[in-house]
Formats: sequence, structure tokens, C-alpha cells
Amino acid sequence: MSNQDIAQMAHLMRRAGFGATRDELEEGVAKGYEAVVEDLLYPTDPQNLPDDIIRRYHTEQAELRLADGAAAYWMYRMITTRCPLEEKLALFWHGLLATGYVKLNQARALLNQIDTFRRHGLGSFSNLLAETSKDPAMIIWLDNHDNHKDAINENYGRELLELFSLGIGNYTEQDVKECARAFTGWTLGNAEYMAMRASRDSIWPYSRIAWHFEFREEDHDDGEKTFLGETGRFNGEDIVAIIARQDSTARFVSTRLFQYFAADEVDEDGQKVIEDMIRSYFDSGQEIRSVLRTLFNSEYFKSEKARFARVKGPVELVVGGVRLAGSYRTPTQGIDQVARQALYMGQGLLQPPSVEGWHEGIEWVDSGALVERVNFVAHEMANVQNPGVRRIIERLAAENGGVLSPESLVDHCLDLLGPIVVADDTRTALVNYAAHEGDLFLTGHQPEDEAEKRVGELLSLATATREFQLA
Amino acid sequence: MPSNGKKRALVVLQLIGANDPLNTVVPYSDPLYYDNRPTVSVPADQVLPIDDDFGFNPNMGPVKSLWDQGKVAVINGIGYPNPNRSHFRSMDIWHTAEPDKIATEGWLGRAIRDMDPNGENVLTGVNFGRGLPRSLGCRGVPVASVGNLETYGLFPDVQDDLKKEQTLQAFAQMYGGFSGRDPVIDSLGQTGRDALKGADILRTAPAQYSSSIEYGPSSIAQSMKNICQVMFAELGTQIFYASHGSFDTHGDELVVHGKLWQDVGGAIGDYYADLEEHGWQDDALLLVWTEFGRRIKDNSSGTDHGAGGTALLIGGNVKGGMYGQYPSLKEAEQIDGDLKANNDFRSTYSTLLERWIGLDAPSIVNGQFEQFDFIEK
Amino acid sequence: MSTRTTKQQFKLEYVKTIGITTNQSGRGFINPYDVAISQDGRIFVLNHCDSARKNLMRIGICNLDEEYLGEFGKGSGKDDEQFNSPVAMAFDSQDRLYISDELNHRVTIFDSSGSFLSKWDASGNGPGELNGPAGIAIDSQDNVYVVDQHNNRVQKFDSGGSFIAQWGEAGSGPGQFNLPWGVAVDTQGDVYVADWRNDRIQKFSPDGEYQASFGESGEGDGQFYRPSGVAVDSEGYVYVADWGNERVQVMAPDGSFQLNLRGQATLSKWAEDFLAVNPDEKRTREMSTLVPNLPPHLNTPHHVSSQTEPYFWGPVSVTLDGEDRLYVTESNRHRVQIYQKK
Repeated sequence: MSNQDIAQMAHLMRRAGFGATRDELEEGVAKGYEAVVEDLLYPTDPQNLPDDIIRRYHTEQAELRLADGAAAYWMYRMITTRCPLEEKLALFWHGLLATGYVKLNQARALLNQIDTFRRHGLGSFSNLLAETSKDPAMIIWLDNHDNHKDAINENYGRELLELFSLGIGNYTEQDVKECARAFTGWTLGNAEYMAMRASRDSIWPYSRIAWHFEFREEDHDDGEKTFLGETGRFNGEDIVAIIARQDSTARFVSTRLFQYFAADEVDEDGQKVIEDMIRSYFDSGQEIRSVLRTLFNSEYFKSEKARFARVKGPVELVVGGVRLAGSYRTPTQGIDQVARQALYMGQGLLQPPSVEGWHEGIEWVDSGALVERVNFVAHEMANVQNPGVRRIIERLAAENGGVLSPESLVDHCLDLLGPIVVADDTRTALVNYAAHEGDLFLTGHQPEDEAEKRVGELLSLATATREFQLA
Repeated sequence: MPSNGKKRALVVLQLIGANDPLNTVVPYSDPLYYDNRPTVSVPADQVLPIDDDFGFNPNMGPVKSLWDQGKVAVINGIGYPNPNRSHFRSMDIWHTAEPDKIATEGWLGRAIRDMDPNGENVLTGVNFGRGLPRSLGCRGVPVASVGNLETYGLFPDVQDDLKKEQTLQAFAQMYGGFSGRDPVIDSLGQTGRDALKGADILRTAPAQYSSSIEYGPSSIAQSMKNICQVMFAELGTQIFYASHGSFDTHGDELVVHGKLWQDVGGAIGDYYADLEEHGWQDDALLLVWTEFGRRIKDNSSGTDHGAGGTALLIGGNVKGGMYGQYPSLKEAEQIDGDLKANNDFRSTYSTLLERWIGLDAPSIVNGQFEQFDFIEK
Repeated sequence: MSTRTTKQQFKLEYVKTIGITTNQSGRGFINPYDVAISQDGRIFVLNHCDSARKNLMRIGICNLDEEYLGEFGKGSGKDDEQFNSPVAMAFDSQDRLYISDELNHRVTIFDSSGSFLSKWDASGNGPGELNGPAGIAIDSQDNVYVVDQHNNRVQKFDSGGSFIAQWGEAGSGPGQFNLPWGVAVDTQGDVYVADWRNDRIQKFSPDGEYQASFGESGEGDGQFYRPSGVAVDSEGYVYVADWGNERVQVMAPDGSFQLNLRGQATLSKWAEDFLAVNPDEKRTREMSTLVPNLPPHLNTPHHVSSQTEPYFWGPVSVTLDGEDRLYVTESNRHRVQIYQKK
């Protein structure tokens, strides 16, 4: 298999997932790029750390009273899944159709919404919007339980059009009102009690009671509505179907998917890909899966130009680092700290700062966040007992009888960690660092001996590079 | 404004979880207090009396002693309209000075941006704790979050001095190059150099510090000590942030609340003594805030979420006294069983921004609010 | 001519619920995992606590009238009176309380006033050494049976901590275990083990000789999903905390299915106190349907219980007192539901 194939597979796995180990890349190249894309697009059994094990050894993840436990639960999924696109896409939808703990005070409702993204995130966009409109987390987040036949609350109706589909300029104020009317009666079971408890963060008497959707017909405005030029006695599902058919919706979804999976910035070539994605959207009946297939198989995406064109978000960095190091694959005290780290870096799972989600791109990395990013991954890579690190050591020990010059050590590490492509300055700095102790002798290495520790230290430095901050 | 060349310090201490105002500044002469709090009240003979009607919680000795010297302003009945009783939401309201909608910029983050628009000093604001509090969050504003001042910085796991030096040298080299072609890589380079510089500078603070004050063992005392170390090192830091908790005393309140104030009161006492020893007491001002108050009636073990709280301002330049009105416990004047706030927290913020730091308040707190007169000069 | 055996009608009547959730010390439970009843009828509650509240780990004491009587334990850690992950407890005939800790790998013994007496803390996989002790049961001779979870075995000690016997190994055959959890002893001295990941209860003689196995994986009557606890009454009825199915099942001595309980909690006294001072929550609660209809994608027992407050949620253990009362301890609901056998 060629280095080019490995590099291309690594790029696909970084984007469609959270990165991959060298073993996983070789498996992928053997299968073939397009085949791997299909595997990603049709997730089957994720084989993640099972729920019963998690709940026995992590009480907070059984009860899910607070955000910390729920974030840790999702971390376990992202870390141990064999279907990374399912989780990466759920993370995408979480940032777009954003709801947060700050107002809901209900961690379980948030995880249930993430599960909705797993079940419907690759299917038709119309269906996803319909499920989102019924999602209790979304209903409380945008006050739709306060949207009544005789007293409209426009919050959901507006954000649905402005932030979740058409975008400003593609609908009128009148459309907002009609949209809101169609969603009257879309509320929760026991809405008054649930909203009361959310507003005061009540865990009494017997912990949280989870939420479910309820349609209150008597509170629903069944009258005729005119929305985006069409007229009828529209209910929420009808509205969503109309929205999903619009060009501006197709453009919105395709652009956001492009920015998340392909490149933070859209240039001329990128724009052409987006046009292709829009065509797929309509040809497939609005299927997100088809849109993503078009993207992943495009020349643009497969070209070198697309590589490292995104800044890794904190969750991506943390999960990628842990998957590389092979840690946290079994119940581990301290998993909640892993989710916390992403929070310190500026992206708290289930706690987006507002309905606009997070601002991505270079904004992820300010000096405070950079310190946390570097330190977290360094810590995982320096631990030579971590299975992923041991695997790297094994591979290094198999090179040249286990004798590596500083240059060779650096080049192999960069290769096994990504491959990461670095500027000359970066490589020189790493080589100079390795050269302080001369050649590395891994022959006959023992767990945690000096030779192994040197590898861990170099891996820490290699993952501290600016290039590693990019995907 | 000070003429001694010092840059004024604003120290913000957040009591997380909603501190109970009725057991902090106790209305011990009001029979309604004891009627509503049959179990969770402070006996009249145990309060530290301010006057015939009010007294501090008995665990607040150091605060009382500063009160007696006229260094403590108590803001009673502080809050905002339509009180929210959810911790996260109410904290966000205080953090972003925006009760009506979800906002993303913190008031202190905006203040730092106004103080240092060109970002010349990456240490203008320092948080003592992990994870940036939303008060300090503002796009483009760097803020260091220091969990442990002694070990703060890049690669804390590398213990060996020589190795550490080699590692940081490599880091500096890796982040040193300027491509001129790739804005993202160049921006990362600048950020990395800032982080290295910030950490290098902060690390000098404990080494320069010398003091006779022995701080208590609590984590908040250690944070206050770190704050003094950075303040006295004159690194240009003006906004200092720390927090302690949890004050969410739904049960066993008398014991838990008492211990919390022992820790916080002790830390404040140590901090002030340290300021005095180093001549900083007139140039530092401490704001102690919490996200809301607690219910007037107890639940026979503790108290539940309420509204209308108490804030404290402590410093050499504070005009000591009670500000705002102490909310009434009469049923007719409650809101849904809670104390009714009578002054907006943004008034206190505005006072601090304009009269203490010298910034334009309305653009930071989203409006004009009547200011207090608790600052001497 | 055929004869028909008349089956004695087995009845369990709901009595009450005690407990309330809390964030602090004092009144209330934090993820309770087990209860033990002292000879004078005090109810000792083991607060397992989630990771955010580890410093509040303690044994709380109350009674059937829901009077808070005190607590002991010094939070999280390795000191004698601290815990890391306490799982189960049992009284011996002298009212000494034995508590297992699966992360400190030890059994700690207190007297019923909460004073530390001794500990058994040898860790490892040799005889008498523990790796993740979970369930604890004590027979009438004060022999102590400890489920040694990660060693997939049961160990038997005397009340002084001297090793007597052990049996079991990893596997799914008779006498083998997969991360076992709870354990109980009947009046004959036979030992019942909740063989968690094998979805069954196994019965042994006091010497560890395999006798029988009840149950198989599933949701139906007589089937279990991750049973975590077991208790046996004086007539030999077997009560199973069917944790993964969020229910309690009762089997006759011959292993035949008797009944399923899904839970029917009502407001405890502490819960009523809370609602009395929070009238708006009380008012909106009274408008609600606490046993609602749920959409199809929320149909696993765990999801159903998360939405249906009266149902068991995280029923970790079942305990019987001397008066045929059954205590079901619910970790996720911070309460104990009490039933009376008729």
C-alpha cells in the first residue's frame, strides 16, 4: 500500500470520524476508499462499551442527573465506537440543532436528542427536522411548550427557519407566524410540571423525570395557513416537508456539511462541490447520506488541498487523542474528567453556549485553550502503558532492528500518529529534541524503560505541534 | 484613580450554588425570620451584630472584623427582574449581564477587551481555577485559567528541569515560524507564543512573592493566595477571578453553610491581611457574588432555590455600610415565597466598571443602571 | 384420576416509600445501593454516591416512621472510615455491620453506632484476597459470604475474617460466574448468588457445592437481565432484584415464577415536606400523569423507568427483615420501596 493511500485514508478517517491508528488505516486501505466510505455511511453495530457495564460502574451515567455524567457517557460512545461517522455526524447535528443543559437542566433529554441524531441523522432531512420538532429537549429549549393556539410563541418557528434551515432573507415575518401556528400543541407530556422543574433545576423528590413528546390536539391551531407561498391546514409535519423542499434549505445543509467535513473556509472549488451536494440532496429525496457520499467521493475532498484544512474542535481533539492512545476503553474512573477537558478547551458536550452552537475554525484555539489541548494529548501519549502507545512502540521496535536515529524516530512517529505533515521548522525542532539523547535503542525494550519513555516524550511533543491541531 | 502607578485590581469571587442571604446577613430581630425558619436559622445570641436588627453569620468573623473597620459594603436585595431559579441559567445571567436572552459575551471579558483593545498583555485577566468562567469569555480575549500556579504551563508532566527546558525550547521553535501564506498556521503560531509567554511570566509570580501571612488549608484560601502572588508581581493583571462552592444547601444547611463561610471568611481575612502587608489594600477591590438567594421558608433541613440575594464588596477604598434595601419577609411583599430584589446587579457592575476601573459601563452591561456610592475614590 | 395441586397464593402488598434525593449530608439518600436492618429495627442505608458527590459517602440511619436518626462514614478515600465504591452490607448476630467496597477491595466492619471495628483488606486473587468485593451475606453461624466480583468467585470467611472456603471461576457453566453481584443465605444455610452477566441466580450448599440455577436471559416471567441482588425468606421464596429489567421477581422454592413487581412508589414523608414548601411544584405535579404513555423508541425498561416515577429504577438490592417485609433499594431514585408479604 502506498503512502498516498494511507494519507488519503487518514484524511477520510480524521474527517468522517476522529482519526485512526496505523492498524486501522492499513485495514481501510486494503478494503478500498469507496468501500470504507460505504461502511461509514451505513453504520451497523457500533460495538461500543455496553450500557450495562457503564451503568454498573458509573452510577452518574445510570442516573444521568447532571451534564457531567451525560457528557462522559457520550465520550465513551465516541471513544469506543466502530461506527465513527455516526458519532461525528451526531456531534455535527448537536452543534447545529443545538440545545443545552444550561436551560434544560435535563441531561437525559439531551442524550435522547443525540440518539435521535443517530437514528435519523443520515436519513432524509425532512424526517430529521420532523423528529427534531418533536424532540422534548428542543421543545423546552425554544419554549414551544409555551406555544398555544390562543397565544403563539414564535421562538421555535423562527429559529427553525433562521438557524435550522432556510436562513435569514429566505422567508418573511408572516412565514414565521404561520410556522409557529403550525407547531402549536407540540409539547411534552406533563409539560407544566416538567417546565417548572427545569426552570428551577429541581431534582426532588426522586431525581429527574425524563421527557417525552405529546401532541395536545385541543391546543393546536388547525386553521388554514399560508407558508412560503403554499396554503393549507398545515401541521408541523407539513411545514417541515415544505421547508425541506426549498433550494435555500438544500444550500444551507450542504454548506454546513461542507464546512464541517471538508474545510472551514469555502473557496471557488469548494463552492462547486457544494453545488454537487445540492444536486445529490434533491436527487436522493433529501438524504443526508447521499450528500455526504458526494462530498467524500469528490475529487476536492480526496485531493491534497483538502487535507489539514480544518481546525480540530476540542471534542475532536480529545476523542482523537484518546483513540490514538487506546485509553478509556473499559470503565475508568476519570472518564468524566475527559469530558471536562473538552469543556476547559471551550467545547462542553451538551452545553453549547447558545442555540447558535459553537463558533468553529481558528476561534477554537486561544492561548488558554491551547495550553489545555497540548497538555491533554501529551498526557495520554506519554503514558507508555496505554495500548495505542504500546502498539506504536512495537512498530518502532520493528524498524531497523529497533535502532532509530533522531531523524528516523521523528519521521516514523509523525507517520504513525497521522500521518502528520509538518513544516520544516517543526521537523527540525523535533529532530533537535530527539538528538539531545542521540540514537534510540528499542531492541529488547522492557515496559516503562528509558527507551520506551523517550518514545512517549517524543509522541507528546509531536502531538503538541500546530499541525496536530488541524484535521 | 490611583496615582501610585499601580494598576487597580478587581477581584471577583463567585459563591457557586446560591448562597443563603438570610443566614449570611441575619435579620435576628425580625420574628418572621424565626417563624419561617423553625429549623434552619441562626440563634439571635450567636450572630455577630452589625446593629440591633442585623448581624453576620457566626462563621464570618474575619468579614465582621473588616466591617468594623468600614471596609465592607453589603448590597442587600440584589437581583434582576423575573428571577430565574435554575443555577446554570441564573449564573449565565450574571456572567453575561443579560437577563432577557441567552448571550455569549461575559461582562469581564468585555471589560478586558475595552481595557486592552490591542491585546498587548495576555495576562490582563486571570482565572484561578480550570475552565474559563463565562464572565471572562469573549471572542478574541485571551484569559489564562490557572488551576495551580506553581505548576501552571505547558507539559506539567515533565518533571526533570533539563528535559523541561528542552521540551519548551522545542515548543518555541515549533511555533516560531511565520509562513505568510497560511493564516491559520500563522495564527496558531502567535497563540502558541502567547501561551508560552503567559506561562513563563505567571511562573515568576510565586518566586517573587514573600509574605508572613499563613493562609488556611481550604482551596479558596489557596486561590486567594495565588491571586495575591500574581497581583504583587505587577504583571499587569487587573481582573482576578475565583470561585467556591457548593452553597446549594438544600439539606443540612446550618452545618454545611457554616463550614463554607468558615473557609471563605478565613480566606478573605488572609487575603486582606496580605494586601495590607504589601500596601495593596487601597488598590484592590473584592466583589463576592452568587447567582440567587434561597427560599424564605426552610424545608426542615435546608433551603431551596429562591430569589433576591446579597453581594459583598471589600477593599480599602470601599465606603463600608449597607446598600440596597434589606428585603421584607412579610408575605405581601414576597414573590412566590421568595425575597423580592430591589436593585439590579448591573448597578453594582456599572459602579465597578466606571468608578473603579474607569470604563464605559452601558456598552458592557447592556444598559444604563443607577450606580451606588460605595467607592471612596 | 388427576389431582390438582393447590398453590398457596403468594402476595406482596405495597406498604410505603422512604427517602428523598439530596445534595448534602443529613436527611436524604444519594444513590443508595443497599439497606440493612438492625435488631432494634433501625434501617441503615448505604449511600453509594455518584462521582460528583463522593465526599458525601456515608451510611444513613432512619426508621420505618422516616425519622432521620443519624449517619456515619467520613466520605471518600482509603482511611478506615472512608469508602471508594461501597456496594453492599449485612448485619451479623451481634449487630456488627459488614460493608463491602469494590474499589478499596475490602470489607469494613462497624458496630451499629457507627464506630469502626476492623477491616479485611488483603487484595489479590489468592485465598482470602479480594478483587472487587460486591454482595455480602451472613448466615446464622455468623459465617460471612463475600462475592469476589473480578475473581468471579464466592469466598466464605468467619466473623473474625479467617478464610474458610471459596468456589467459582469465570465462565457460564454451572458453578461459574460472570461479574457476580449480590448474594443471600437461606435458613438452611444454602447460598444464592446473583450471577449478573450470566442472567441467572445460582444456588449452592454452604460448602459451595452447586445445587441449582434459576433463570435465563430475557424480559419474560422467570427471565432476568443482569440481576444484581437476591434475598430468600424463611419459606424459601427467592426475591430477585432484576436490575436490568428494572423490576423485582419472586420465585417459589422450586424455582417457579411467582410474580413480578414493577414498583409503585408514593410520596415519602420527606418528599411531602419538600412539596409543602414548594407549592408551585406541588401544584404542577398534581396536574400530571406520573405513569404516562410513551413513544415507541423509548421502550426499554431503563427508558420507561426514567419517565415513570413510581416504577423501580436501578433496583440494586432486595432485603428482608424479620417480619417478612421486603425493602427494594433504588439507586437512581434515591429511595426504598417497602412491601409486606402476606
